[in-house]
Amino acid sequence: MLTTAQQIEGWPQTVAQFERLVEATQDDLVNFAFHQLGNRDDAEDAVQDVYVQAFRERIQRKQVTEVRLYLFRMVRNRCIDHHRARLRHPVEPLIDRFASNEDAFSEVAEQEQAERLNQLLDGISKQQAEVIRLRVLSDLSFADVAVVVGASLPAVKSRFRYGLDKLRRALQAKGGTR
Amino acid sequence: MNCQEAIREITDLLDKEESPKAKLVREHLEDCPDCRAYFEEQQQLFDVLRQFPRIAASHQFGAKTMNAIANAAAPETQTTGNFWHLQKWHRWTLATCATALLFLSLPFLPGHLGGGHFSGGNAAFSVLAQSVDAMSNVQTVHMTGRMRTIPGDNFELIGAQYDFVPLGLWSQYNPRRWRVEKTGRMVVMDGQSSTLLISSTNQYMKASPQAGLVEWLRPLLNPEGVLQNELDSAEAKQSDATVTEADGIATMTIRRKAEGATTDSWTKNKSIRESDHTCIYQFDSATKRLKSLRVMIHADNKDVVLLELNDIRYNEAFPDSLFALQIPKGATQLVAPEQMAAPASNLLGPQDVAKYFFNACAQKDWNAVLGVYPAKTVPDSFKNYFGHLTILSTSIGVPFKSGLYPGYFVPYEIRLSDGTVKAHNLAVRNDNPEKRWIVDGGF
Repeated sequence: MLTTAQQIEGWPQTVAQFERLVEATQDDLVNFAFHQLGNRDDAEDAVQDVYVQAFRERIQRKQVTEVRLYLFRMVRNRCIDHHRARLRHPVEPLIDRFASNEDAFSEVAEQEQAERLNQLLDGISKQQAEVIRLRVLSDLSFADVAVVVGASLPAVKSRFRYGLDKLRRALQAKGGTR
Repeated sequence: MNCQEAIREITDLLDKEESPKAKLVREHLEDCPDCRAYFEEQQQLFDVLRQFPRIAASHQFGAKTMNAIANAAAPETQTTGNFWHLQKWHRWTLATCATALLFLSLPFLPGHLGGGHFSGGNAAFSVLAQSVDAMSNVQTVHMTGRMRTIPGDNFELIGAQYDFVPLGLWSQYNPRRWRVEKTGRMVVMDGQSSTLLISSTNQYMKASPQAGLVEWLRPLLNPEGVLQNELDSAEAKQSDATVTEADGIATMTIRRKAEGATTDSWTKNKSIRESDHTCIYQFDSATKRLKSLRVMIHADNKDVVLLELNDIRYNEAFPDSLFALQIPKGATQLVAPEQMAAPASNLLGPQDVAKYFFNACAQKDWNAVLGVYPAKTVPDSFKNYFGHLTILSTSIGVPFKSGLYPGYFVPYEIRLSDGTVKAHNLAVRNDNPEKRWIVDGGF
């Protein structure tokens, strides 16, 4: 977590502050991007791009106090751009990366988990799925989720509840839980 | 609270921070089996979803990201812009070496200011003199850039083989305060004292405001002084400069030969001053102020950019917090040689110091290590690395001097506890008031 001092001071301006910021937020952001994009390489690329952007724009963003949430928001936007680009240029098959990646086995396991979750969430709207991911997998409070997705708190809670309702009905129809 | 309201607010029970309404929802659930069943289903599904694994960033992610940030500090026109001027100049120099020889007896290769704003008889004198003048009314300077070095290592060390790490300098003249930092290392001078913090090893050091904790970068905290020195050097005919001007920017290129003893090349190209190097200053033609600085070294017949400060801002207001440095919990303190609690005695010279140091490490006698290692305690990272090392036979070599380093380098070869053989040169010195031998680096 970021220190209180850093939250008050606002956007990091120094190398050491950026180092601390990366250390404090990298796992949460990569995890969030991973569940948005479905594979680690893309997730880490997206998050790295966001940190670089955060550094480049450090002067303009000096007054931002909710640094962590702002970064989530930037990663979210980066993932949306990535999805759009992917629609235009389909990604390489996993097998191609498998041939050159020593960590491919763990990557496949991670990816399988991500795909399982994506299959689960496929039946609900994108906005509902996004709120569920942020609340459940990124462990943000509903108030924080509202900041990240740019919606009101009641809207976020409503999306979450409707999303879970729909998910539960889908699972029950497939003979899952309950 | 009725059922409809309870269902609407039921997510509050799944929130991290319960709202005031959560209590009312709980009370309703106690009395309403249907809503309770609904909540339990929601909770069950919530728990199922939470079981999906979270992933962490890969081990190298942080270092790669800081490297990407360093690259982001590069000028946007890296392969063109002023670099083109230098390339062009080099080619010109090579192609017309016979003509150039005529110029070498002159203080500068003649610059040309075709219609620019800098004025005066000689371009280099004019640019420097006007810039020194323009810098004299500056209150603060903030420089951002990058440097090829090892994260966490001292501010003097450079190397063409290293990746860039980001670099930041803040200098305030009144009251005098400054801060210098790169990945893994920072120094803050708050007006009363200087504090060095090495986050990569969790070590710190307190020293006087004048202490040389930022090595080669120190002059840059006073860019006016740097330019004044360049002007002095030009007037004393000790430098070789050329100036070009285009698009409102004057570019001055100054070349220098490596300094220091040349009997051994160990330190050659490991610091700017110990390298044949070129400084490329850029000045804003309108304000006359320094706009950027690039330093290249010439090693192995190549020019390699080692340092770039491409974003220089003047008269920004610095918050007090910039000069307040909190020492992290558990950080171990480095001390000056004269503050060592139990310095080793009867050491005959640099080779003796190296033998003493490695023997103490091999025996895990950390108190003995502190006899030559200027710190209050030995950090755990050091203990883990050097604990139970083996000194290989005839592995402590003959000490030698190199470059500008005031001490000695002692070649050594050791086997670490994990089997790795490490061959390097230990840096030892005794140039302190107490003439105490200390181990200064090289491990």
